[in-house]
Amino acid sequence: MPPSPCALCKVNRALILRPKDHSKLCKTCFISVFETEIHHTITTNALFHRGEKVAIGASGGKDSTVLASVLKTLNERYDYSLDLILLSIDEGIKGYRDDSLETVKRNAEQYGMHLTILGYDELYGWTMDQVVEQVGKKGNCTYCGVFRRQALDRGASRLGVKHVVTGHNADDVAETVLMNLLRGDLPRLSRTTSIVTSTPSASADPASDTNIKRSKPLKYAYEKEIVLYAHHKKLDYFSTECIYSPEAFRGSARALIKNLERVRPSAILDVVRSGEDMAKLVPGSDEGCGGACSKGVSAAEEEEGEGGCGSAQGRSTGGEMASVEAQLRQNEAAVDGHLETEITTKTINGSGKQQEACAANGKKAKKGIVPKKSSKQVMGQCKRCGYLSSQEICKACVLLEGLNKARPRNHIEVGYEVQDVSLNSVRDELDATSIRRD
Amino acid sequence: MPGKHLSHASDEPCRRCKHNLSVLVVRSEPLCHDCFARYVHTKCIKRLESFRVHFGAEQPPRILVPLSFGVSSLTLLHILNRHLQTQKSKTGRTGFAISAVYIQDPGQDLPAEHWLEKARQQYPDHQYASLPLHEVFRLVPDDASLQALVPQLEHQGNASPQQRFAHLINSLSSATARADVLTTLRTRLIVEHAQRIGCESILWGDSTTRLAQRTLAETAKGRGFSLPWHISDGASPFGLHFHYPLRDVLKKELVSYTHMSEPGLAALVHETTPGVAQASMSSKNTTIDDLMKQYFESVEENFPSIVANVVRTTSKLEIRPGAAADPRCSLCSMPVPGGRFGIHAWGGDQQDGQDFTSSGRNNLCHGCTRSIPKPVVGCSGS
Ligand SMILES: [Zn+2]
Ligand SMILES: [Zn+2]
Ligand SMILES: [Zn+2]
Ligand SMILES: [Zn+2]
Repeated sequence: MPPSPCALCKVNRALILRPKDHSKLCKTCFISVFETEIHHTITTNALFHRGEKVAIGASGGKDSTVLASVLKTLNERYDYSLDLILLSIDEGIKGYRDDSLETVKRNAEQYGMHLTILGYDELYGWTMDQVVEQVGKKGNCTYCGVFRRQALDRGASRLGVKHVVTGHNADDVAETVLMNLLRGDLPRLSRTTSIVTSTPSASADPASDTNIKRSKPLKYAYEKEIVLYAHHKKLDYFSTECIYSPEAFRGSARALIKNLERVRPSAILDVVRSGEDMAKLVPGSDEGCGGACSKGVSAAEEEEGEGGCGSAQGRSTGGEMASVEAQLRQNEAAVDGHLETEITTKTINGSGKQQEACAANGKKAKKGIVPKKSSKQVMGQCKRCGYLSSQEICKACVLLEGLNKARPRNHIEVGYEVQDVSLNSVRDELDATSIRRD
Repeated sequence: MPGKHLSHASDEPCRRCKHNLSVLVVRSEPLCHDCFARYVHTKCIKRLESFRVHFGAEQPPRILVPLSFGVSSLTLLHILNRHLQTQKSKTGRTGFAISAVYIQDPGQDLPAEHWLEKARQQYPDHQYASLPLHEVFRLVPDDASLQALVPQLEHQGNASPQQRFAHLINSLSSATARADVLTTLRTRLIVEHAQRIGCESILWGDSTTRLAQRTLAETAKGRGFSLPWHISDGASPFGLHFHYPLRDVLKKELVSYTHMSEPGLAALVHETTPGVAQASMSSKNTTIDDLMKQYFESVEENFPSIVANVVRTTSKLEIRPGAAADPRCSLCSMPVPGGRFGIHAWGGDQQDGQDFTSSGRNNLCHGCTRSIPKPVVGCSGS
């Protein structure tokens, strides 16, 4: 194959076939265009404000390492004047984070960023190893998932940082869009497509975890390009294949995305765009205003559902699909049994669409019952820790309560009491200003 | 092949009539021949409430059934035909009148007249027509926008519809783009035909499985914005109504139905694309539609309710108020929110390009922009 010149500078030899659009670029142009695009995303979405302190959720993996590197570069090049720090979470699983945390420590030096590593023991009073010891290997996935979802926000809140950025890329977002279509979960689809989630609410208690803004500057960056960027910039990251198979819906969606990308490279971005557009069509969605007027809807709560829990003991693939299928069949049977006539008249006449929409909007829709989560949740704050929650007490606190009850007494005093002081103060403040944000 | 979908195995009695032996298992319910037929009929007929007999009406409304001679569209015609006979025997009147149309794809070996004649013999009470797909360039009235898609031929006023059509299809660079554009043009021709012969509604044969495929395929092509128009019953952006009476029946159930129904139905089935789903997914000719077809045909096997739930959920997406006033895409004719044509108007493209305001004549939505190649610079000028 004769060497072809770079499509951008027309001077250097093209060495890179750009995954996103198959253009042929030289190394320098690829790096520059990749960075420029992230800058474009940051500025058009006004992700940051000058002087803002931003915590980069760092795992040592390629996404967060590239995010840290690019943000450092752009911060200097375009004078964002950001105070960037690294925040890592240690689940407390012996050996599991050793290598990746070493990587993050080196990154901190390389990028001259301050690094904080917070352990589950500090955040929750329990390491995952202790949880496993307590509840056995079987049920610990629940804990790991629930704890992980809150960990970054809780950590940031500890550090007094109001904004956490994560390394979610276009592939992740596209996968989530397809996954939520397959699960039939429109509310979640609409929440996870926005680039900024958990918009701070002015009237909320500033000390609460609720006030953490989350954003994903790599939302439109292809995973393959992130790998290429890391490679050509010789970034120091910890590459590990996740050994845990994702649950069936996500696995399915991931496979579809990979196949789509093969058939049409732009498909990943096309799915992301579809997801954003569909979010505006979800009944009762506030996506019409770009999520800006959303009152505390935590997407962080659902988007970190990926593997890497570290102690998942062979989650049965297909198990989740089978149980959703069973649930849906029950619903269908109920509909066929009791509601046949009602539904017929409802959906057939001219205004059927309207009525269905209302049903989905208001009380739980009778047909098309969404597995697990119902249509629209009112998000409030956990009475105990202040974290965003649809229940009075958030999942983490419920789990902690269970754990702490079972824990021998002396442990409680060391582990939990310390934790409880900070949580208590949040709770007290909340109680004092417990007027619902609206 | 016949019988493949009938899992007899069980000597269980039918769960519904508790009388006959079951001949197949439908969503974990063993059903006998009659109860299964009733199951399919009921699911279809209950979607036809708006086509009941109206005694006041002078003439029953005319509806269009697009035929592909595949399992789904023929089953729909079969059930509609049966429904009309029932209406007539009960009331002496009918709630609607049927026109059927077959669109000939280019290079299609199916002798249209021959097959339409067979359909006419089987279901004689209806009107039948066939149109070659390139007629879309002749029939669609605001064809200026379609013509603009073939700029090189624009100045040759005398280019025939065939020439324009061939030129457009040859300019498409991938199998996905070709399949996408063909589907879009087919829809537009069908709509145009429906309007010309005075149909108020188009009744599409899409099964649940097909609608689920459609949902994910259009999502993957960047047409999430127009999804409600593609899979919901009701007013379409074209002015007439779209209905999907088989939306609650799975593809595999329709296949079983054609095998168990009277032989005249099965004899009409002429699947034009057999084995698409088996095609190797690494092949260059694989399309996004193929991918989704293969995916949902496998999910349908074990998780039919998940397939149904995808469709049910997606049909809850709401059409934005005021959507009808939005500017339309030149190719698919869908209302594009705020007239944000092209891909550069969207932040995710991460470019400052302005293609959505640049040309007033070639306004393509995100999905259509991906399929239609960019015009060669300098060619579209004077
Ligand atoms: Zn270059
Ligand atoms: Zn809590
Ligand atoms: Zn029976
Ligand atoms: Zn279009």
